[in-house]
Amino acid sequence: MSEIHLTINGKPVVAQSGQTILEAAKQADIDIPVLCHHPALANWGACRMCLVEVKGMRGLQTSCTCPATEGMEVETETEKVVAVRKFVLELLFSERNHYCMYCQMSGDCELQDLAYRYGLDHWTYPRPFEKMEVDASRKYFIMDPNRCILCSRCIRACSEIAANHTLGLRDRGARTMVVADLDVPFGESTCVECGTCLQVCPTGALIDAKSAYGGREKDVIHTQTTCMQCSVGCDLDVVTRYQRLLRVDGVWESEPSGGLLCVDGRFKPLYEKRQRVTGPLVRKDGKLVAAGWNEALGIVAEKLQSGSCQGLAYCATTDEALTAFARLFAKVDGAAGRIEPQVAPLGFGQVAKVQDVLDADVIIVTGAQPLEYQRVIGYFIHRAADQGAQVAVITDDENGLSARAAMTLTSAEAGKAVETAAGAGKVVVVYGTEIKPEVIAALKPLGDEAYILALDPARNAQGATAAGLQPQEPSDVDVLYFLLGEQSEDAALLAKVNGAFKIVQAAYHSPLVDQADVVLPTPIWVERTGHVTNLDGSAKPLHAALLMPENVRDEAEALAALADMIG
Amino acid sequence: MVYRAHILISGDAACIAKGARDVEAALWEAVQELNLKDEVQILEVSSLGHSDQGPEIVIYPDGTDYVNLTPEDAKFIIEEHLLKGRPVERLTYREPPSLPLPPPSEKEVRVVLENVGKIDPENIEDYIAMDGYMALGKVLGEMTPEEVIEELKISGLRGRGGAGFPTWLKWTLARNAPGDMKYVICNGDEGDPGAFMNRSVLEGDPHSVIEGMAIAAYAIGASQGYFYVRAEYPIAIQTLRAAIKQARDYGLLGEHIFGADFSFDLEVRMGAGAFVCGEETALMQSIEGARGMPRTRPPYPATAGLWGNPTNINNVETYANVPKIIHKGGSWFASMGTDKSKGTKTFAIAGKVERTGLIEVPLGMTIREIVYDVGGGVLGGKKFKAVQTGGPMGGCIPEQYLDLPVDYEHLKEVGSMMGSGGFVVMDEDTCMVDIARFFMEFTQDESCGKCVPCRVGTRRMLEILNRICAGEGRPGDIETLEELAVYIRDGSLCGLGQGAPNPVLSTLQYFRDEYEAHIYDKTCPAKVCKGLIEYKINPEACIGCTRCARNCPVNAIEGKPKQTHVIDADICIRCGVCKQVCPVDAVYVE
Repeated sequence: MSEIHLTINGKPVVAQSGQTILEAAKQADIDIPVLCHHPALANWGACRMCLVEVKGMRGLQTSCTCPATEGMEVETETEKVVAVRKFVLELLFSERNHYCMYCQMSGDCELQDLAYRYGLDHWTYPRPFEKMEVDASRKYFIMDPNRCILCSRCIRACSEIAANHTLGLRDRGARTMVVADLDVPFGESTCVECGTCLQVCPTGALIDAKSAYGGREKDVIHTQTTCMQCSVGCDLDVVTRYQRLLRVDGVWESEPSGGLLCVDGRFKPLYEKRQRVTGPLVRKDGKLVAAGWNEALGIVAEKLQSGSCQGLAYCATTDEALTAFARLFAKVDGAAGRIEPQVAPLGFGQVAKVQDVLDADVIIVTGAQPLEYQRVIGYFIHRAADQGAQVAVITDDENGLSARAAMTLTSAEAGKAVETAAGAGKVVVVYGTEIKPEVIAALKPLGDEAYILALDPARNAQGATAAGLQPQEPSDVDVLYFLLGEQSEDAALLAKVNGAFKIVQAAYHSPLVDQADVVLPTPIWVERTGHVTNLDGSAKPLHAALLMPENVRDEAEALAALADMIG
Repeated sequence: MVYRAHILISGDAACIAKGARDVEAALWEAVQELNLKDEVQILEVSSLGHSDQGPEIVIYPDGTDYVNLTPEDAKFIIEEHLLKGRPVERLTYREPPSLPLPPPSEKEVRVVLENVGKIDPENIEDYIAMDGYMALGKVLGEMTPEEVIEELKISGLRGRGGAGFPTWLKWTLARNAPGDMKYVICNGDEGDPGAFMNRSVLEGDPHSVIEGMAIAAYAIGASQGYFYVRAEYPIAIQTLRAAIKQARDYGLLGEHIFGADFSFDLEVRMGAGAFVCGEETALMQSIEGARGMPRTRPPYPATAGLWGNPTNINNVETYANVPKIIHKGGSWFASMGTDKSKGTKTFAIAGKVERTGLIEVPLGMTIREIVYDVGGGVLGGKKFKAVQTGGPMGGCIPEQYLDLPVDYEHLKEVGSMMGSGGFVVMDEDTCMVDIARFFMEFTQDESCGKCVPCRVGTRRMLEILNRICAGEGRPGDIETLEELAVYIRDGSLCGLGQGAPNPVLSTLQYFRDEYEAHIYDKTCPAKVCKGLIEYKINPEACIGCTRCARNCPVNAIEGKPKQTHVIDADICIRCGVCKQVCPVDAVYVE
């Protein structure tokens, strides 16, 4: 890239070749208004807000699409430009129902902001708009076409970022509407509820059901943390107000997902229904009753030293907690392990970063269902396929990725994927615990050139591995210590639990918690500080957006206190 | 049983739509009634060949062909022809002129249309016999791409799609654009209402366009081409596909054409009914399989077109000119036309003119010559009012410019444009506000909806125009229209939006008084706008024949036989039927 020099509003600006006028202006702190443009999306040039005058060019240019060139002279706020912008706003306000005072986005609306900026103090044109039906068929969000300005940001987000292509336009001209699939209610569509469209909507057309009217931008607090719902570990922007969790957004330009989230990360945790463990509990006279931390920890410390013990952890907590857990059991000579199975290394290839999926030429998926369990990886594979990557799914069962894969092969046919990959450029193998030994053998010829992305089913599997926790079954010991965190145990584990003295450290009540002899509370994702390690091995920080309940202590801290008590 | 006569009745869709089944029933009834059922057989068959004039029957053994039949005619024919043995002259089919195109008038010069109607479009040898593919042979055998472009530069050929961009320059830009894969596209999405210049060429001389595209591909370094033709042109598509296949069979498309190091092939893509897909960037979106919406330029198609590759896109007529230019030389082409607008141009003359249809004239011919000499004058000897050129984004040119030479520059100077060749003549009975409203209705309906000024602005303009035509115009409407027009023109993304206000701007420029009459005097000077006119019956002329009252669809006319009839203006829907049926011209418009 070479440097180019231009002037914007008389100010000399240095930009890189390939940049648009808008990007060059932004670098120089010159504010050009936009509505349809969004930095995370392809340039569109439709709303006409970013029009500028360029000396020597015929007509007005959309700065979001017009490349900056050497010697260009740009004016961004001339009388003509301002008049057209104001005109566009007047038209938009005449098109649909934009009575701001009734809209939950009032105060946080890009359209409204621009109306103020350009002094729209009355309606210039008649407003013959029709009432359009609000689509509330989705649980987590609502689409109100009455407030839509047809900027198509949502459509581009759905296609370009989530690669799901659910949203599109219907009809043309003044009858144009944003629709899901072939104009079905959102709830019946192929929408995967990733919520990216909500995050890019400039008005109140796509709104989050939970945070509507919950607080305007100026009232809320943003905390950046890492998603703990799966091992991908996407960056989250957690929005809170007065210690109330309002909304979760993705973080643009962050690793690994670049702002893309899934329903598990963005919405589901906000609808948590399980009953929280709010303080230590100990069993007295057959009943679990509230106890102080000192009492509870005292019992635990004593028990751990009094007989054989085993610690089992779900990888659903921080690196720090898992390390402290392993350390504690080393101290008491007890076995410590993880409950979830582990993905074994393939024995060839180089470790891939999540982003490697996006520029792969061939992606081989086997033994994993990323669209179900590591959804963002699934969406990334779709995105790569949209860009021309060949996707080969090797499976003997159903796999959601097959629908858009170039080929779906049985385990016996795995060699064909290797043939496809031969000489094809960048090859990424995405695999999970279900990978079959014969497939591993068949893929081996890919060699160390191939990028390998192991989809560990456990959220912080890498943290557990780093702490030395290997998969273990409950054994016949006197004391069983379960570190559940936010993960409620599955039935299989519960069935294996014997009559030992049970200590459970968990955030939520569950059958195992209810059987326990001592229960220690843990924080949940939004209250955590520390780190997690995601599936490509990146240590990702956690920042608490909410305070823990009064009687809850961080696991790492509680485990360290136990270790200290044991001495 | 042996029948004396057989009646074949056409049962194809067009004839049925026009009432063939009723005619058939009437035939049966008449045959029964006249006791001929043992002598005459009636058979429904497929098309008898003149479905445009259906319902149609053919009576054997003599083979008399009757067309445009009504049930009454059917009965009459049975009586006359089969009972009395007298064929009914007035209902028999008459051969229309055999050429699809009437012979050119003296002032016409046919370059693009030279072969149309003369050769069999489905037979490549006909085209080859007319020196077809000579130009491609010359280009591949003797000329470098630069020389081809130079020849075009000498010819002065400019884009026939409307904007008039110099073709040689467009080709040069695509040639110089870096890229391994390049494309040529032929824009055959002819969507202007009433325009059929390109269709005639595609249906009548498809190889001239194929040859032109191959030459363009050679000049810019492309190996793949696309025809984009609207789906509403099924015959053109069929003809093109057949022509492409034949060209491939003859080695004129495909690998190493004429043994040269040049390979080129073509595919036909159909449009899906959106007018805006005639806009080049929307057209390319459509070829790529996306929703047809224009995108901003730069980058231009020459550098980043189809699938992001350098692409040359020209109109059908532009390509059709190319073989002729190569064959006869650029200076031959440049000898026609004006200083800046060389060659000839096809127009679809329509509206209030004696001879409507397709013409081709040298650029620079005056409007007067086109209307009066080529078009035979205004229909019914009425007074010329204006001509609308350039399609829905063009403008109306008034009488004072009758002697204006028709070329790119002059049309633009008077607020219109060349466009692809629409040429609608209007007489004194045409309301210019209504015309502006008509075109605005078209463009607002065809707006793709992407950019705000076009999507919303044209709708707001149409609402005002609708109001004015309905007699509800308000002071200030003209000024609002002007304001909207200027902003839509300056603010829209593509040519559709930028041109959409043109019909309004040009009619406001030349016929502002008509707008004022609608708004302030509540009258429509041309007596067209329904909200502003009233049908009345002249009591002195009315003979009380009751025909108007019987034909009125809403029973708005009262009157007894032999007495003067009166129209109730509150009920009247201004359909004008009464005026049409009155035998003594007693109905008038006020």
